[in-house]
Amino acid sequence: MSRGLAALTGREILRVLKLWTQTVMAPIVSSFLFILVFGLSLGGRIKQIDGVDYEVFIVPGLITMAMVQAAYANNSASVFQAKFDRYLNDILAAPMRAWEVNLGLSLGGVVRALLIGAGLLICALLVVDVPIREPFVLIAAISLALLLFSSLGVVVGIYAESWDHTAFVNNLAILPLTFLGGVFYSVDVLPSPWEELSHVNPIFFLVQAVRYGFLGTSDVPVGIALAVTGGLALVCVAWSTWLFSTGRRIKP
Amino acid sequence: MPADRPPALQLRGLTKRYDDGFLALDGFDLVVPEGEFFGLLGPNGAGKTTLISAVCNLLRVTSGDIEVFGHPHGTMEARKLIGLSEQDVNLDRFLDVEETLLYHGGYYGMPRARARARAKEMMEVFDLSSKAKVRAPKLSGGMRRRLLIARALMHEPPLLILDEPTAGVDFELRLELWRYIRRLHGEGTTILLTTHYLEEAEELCEDIALIRGGRLLARDSAQGLRDAFDAETLADVYVKAMAAA
Repeated sequence: MSRGLAALTGREILRVLKLWTQTVMAPIVSSFLFILVFGLSLGGRIKQIDGVDYEVFIVPGLITMAMVQAAYANNSASVFQAKFDRYLNDILAAPMRAWEVNLGLSLGGVVRALLIGAGLLICALLVVDVPIREPFVLIAAISLALLLFSSLGVVVGIYAESWDHTAFVNNLAILPLTFLGGVFYSVDVLPSPWEELSHVNPIFFLVQAVRYGFLGTSDVPVGIALAVTGGLALVCVAWSTWLFSTGRRIKP
Repeated sequence: MPADRPPALQLRGLTKRYDDGFLALDGFDLVVPEGEFFGLLGPNGAGKTTLISAVCNLLRVTSGDIEVFGHPHGTMEARKLIGLSEQDVNLDRFLDVEETLLYHGGYYGMPRARARARAKEMMEVFDLSSKAKVRAPKLSGGMRRRLLIARALMHEPPLLILDEPTAGVDFELRLELWRYIRRLHGEGTTILLTTHYLEEAEELCEDIALIRGGRLLARDSAQGLRDAFDAETLADVYVKAMAAA
C-alpha cells in the first residue's frame, strides 16, 4: 500500500473514530433495539420461519441493514463534505493515482460498517443464539455488500449538490428496499404478486446471501444471491472508478 | 538557471472551456524559469485561478500541455514538486492543525517520522505550535491562512503556488507572510503568486504577467511594465493594460 493511500485511508478511519458516538454507537443501539423489540417481544407470538426462531431469523437482516446503511452514509457524507468544503483538492492535487483516491475514500465506510457489524453481532449474541453455519458464504456476502454500498456512497457523494441528495438516496431507496428485502419476514409467505416483486429488489438478494451465511437457509439459491449482489457491486465500483479516472463531476 | 535545466513551469496552448461554454483560458503560453518569483495579475474572472487549478490537476484541461520541471503535470513526479495554497480556505474540518500537516505529508508520500519533524518545524515557523491540537474551524482567519501556507510547504515543494495568500489578512500578518515568502524564494523556491494587491506584486515579484479574458496581455518586471506602458506606477500600468484589452 502506498503512503498516500495509507494516509487517506487513515484519515477516513480517523473521521469515523472521532465521531464514534454517531458513526458506530448509534447504529448499533438502534439496530439492537429492533432485535429486542421485534425479536424478543414479538418473537414468542410468531412461529418459526424456515425452522429458525423469529428472534434469530431477523438478526442477519438487521446486521446487513445496519452495515450497508453505514457504508453508504459514511462515504456519501465524507465525499460530499470534502467536495463542499473543497479540502478534496488537497487530495486530488497529491501524487496519488485515481484508483488510490477512490479506494482510500471508500475504506472509511467499510471499516465503519465492520465495526457496526461486529458490535451488533456481539450485542445480539448476548440475547439470542445466532449461529454462523456458512462462514465463507458470510464473508463473501459481507464483502460484496460493502463493495457495493461503499462505492455507491462515493458515487452519490460525488454527484450530490446538497446534504438532501445524500439523505434522499438513503431514506427513499436504501431504507425502504431493505425493509422490503425480507429483513423481518420470509418472502415465501407473501401473496402473489408481492413475492415475485420482491425478486426485483436488489437488497433482497443481499439479505438472503447474508442470512444463508448465518443460518444456512435463504429464500433463493445462495449462488444467485451472491451473483446478483456481485453484479451490482461491479456496476458501482466501475462507476466510481470511471468518475475518478476521468475527473467528471469531481473536477470542473 | 543553467540552460539545460527545464523551466519550473511551462504552459503551451493551454485552453480551458468550462461545461457551460465559458472560455477561461485561450491558448495560453507561459514559461516560469526555475527560481523565479512570478506574479500573475488580473481582474476577477481573468483566468488566474483556472490556470493554477489546471497546473495542480484540479480541473479537466480542454487542450494544451503543462510541464512542471520538465514532467507532464499529471504525473506523480510533477505533483510532488508543487505546493498549493488556494485562495479559499479549504482545510479539513475533522483534523486539527498537526493532523492537517501530517496527513498532507502522508498524501505526498512522506515517511511518518519525516512528516512529524517537518510538521513541528512548520508549526514553529508559522507560530501554530500552541494551536497544534485545535481543529481548523476553531482557528482565527489569520491562523487558517498560516496553516494553508504551512500545508502547502509541508512536502518541501520546489514550486510554490500562492493564490491570493494575503486576501483578508491584516497588515501585520501580510508583512510577516511577505518576509517568509521572500526567505523561501531566497532559498531557491520558485514562486507563482496571484494577487489583487498591486503593491504586493511590485514588492515581491521579479516578473509580472497581466492577464485578462484568459489571455496574456503583458509580461515584464515591474519597471519594464512601467516603461512599456509609459506609466508612473504599476496601478497605472494595470489600468492601461486592462482598458486596452
